[in-house]
Amino acid sequence: MVLIVGGIVLITVNVILLSITSKSQSTFGLGRVGLSFVAPFQELITRSVRFTRSIWGHYFFLASVAHENETLKKALNQSIEKNNEWHEIELANARLRNLLNFQKAPTNRVVAAEVIGKDPSGWFKTVIIDKGSSDGVQKGLPVVLPTGIAGQVIEVSGHYSKVMLIIDRNSAVDALVQRSRARGIIKGASADQCRFEFVLRKHDVQIGDTVVASGLDGVYPKGLRIGRVSDLSERSSDIFYEITVTPFVDYEKLEEVLVILHPKTQAFASQQ
Amino acid sequence: MRYGFYIGTCLFLMIVQTTLLTYFNVFAGMYDLLIPFVIFISICLPLRESLPFVLILGLIMDIFSGSPFGLYLTFYFWLFVGVRWIIKFLRVSNKFLLSLVVVVAVLIQNMLIIGTLGFAGPGWQLPAAALKNIALQFFWALTTGPLFLFYLLAISKRFDIQLNGAAPQPKAYG
Repeated sequence: MVLIVGGIVLITVNVILLSITSKSQSTFGLGRVGLSFVAPFQELITRSVRFTRSIWGHYFFLASVAHENETLKKALNQSIEKNNEWHEIELANARLRNLLNFQKAPTNRVVAAEVIGKDPSGWFKTVIIDKGSSDGVQKGLPVVLPTGIAGQVIEVSGHYSKVMLIIDRNSAVDALVQRSRARGIIKGASADQCRFEFVLRKHDVQIGDTVVASGLDGVYPKGLRIGRVSDLSERSSDIFYEITVTPFVDYEKLEEVLVILHPKTQAFASQQ
Repeated sequence: MRYGFYIGTCLFLMIVQTTLLTYFNVFAGMYDLLIPFVIFISICLPLRESLPFVLILGLIMDIFSGSPFGLYLTFYFWLFVGVRWIIKFLRVSNKFLLSLVVVVAVLIQNMLIIGTLGFAGPGWQLPAAALKNIALQFFWALTTGPLFLFYLLAISKRFDIQLNGAAPQPKAYG
């Protein structure tokens, strides 16, 4: 009898504790210890795998590399052309900003990090990176790639950190449709896609539109690319769109990321 | 040496499933490799040695996962309790039933995760890819889980023969 009552009490306490912890991302300080202990082994394995892959890539796939080289040269030429065009626009922008007495656009200090481990289950989207508090990384800092936003630091130890990707169900990013400036919240859908929520149907949103960070959440700097609208539907009873966004970042192939150390988030109004 | 093997195996599995397996698409949807290991230590180690082991294992997995803190701890603990209870009736040599335990444990873990995700808020919806994920885990658990568990049990038996001169005869063995 005592055993049954004890079991019921234990299960009840367990369920209550889980329901509490499921609403927060805290590990009560234990994360730091655990990361410092196991992450070096993860780093060792990851580096070994990458080393092996790079040897394979360098010596056994030279034929495909020659073909890729041709394609890349063409792409490079196009990029150089685009770059010249953008350089002109940048100069024009600087001149106009001067005329209007705008402040210089803020620059961010970043630190490059390697992904050394991923969440073992298919349910949660977090990665471990090889930079920690000794490199200036702090909890809450944004993690990006040249192609777009990757996620946010949620746990930091001396030399390693845990990053929650924006496709995780706990993630939320305040975002804008680049073309129409329609605002909403990007939430993870745990399947390499995100939902773009709370976008009013009175705004103009189309499939293919680019979604960028608004900077209003105080985490991600304004203008960072997130993804492209890949699906859009309107329910007659709802005032919001149902939008699916496919991120620009390929999270399955995430290997290196950049942590923005001191993001300069700006007031939304000042940039409009 | 025996404990070195247990700690080494557990560390190896933990690292393999968070690093190595993620590089191979063929292993996409692999189940939690520590499940057969937890079943194994629940069967083979005495209570005072296996319980702390299981709790520490759960704690470390919670740290490395993006799951709500305590999810792996909860699952491993109840898996441990369940296996300790079930081996009172089940013979470890019964390969079919042990295979069933591994597969059922994998499914229960997925159910627990879905249940915990439900706590996160009323707006949460089961992702469309969830069923595929569960099906893949079921497949992998069915095909590799029992093999992996029997391999661990065989190694443990060998250790006992080497160290004690004979395999132990716990209640669970038939």
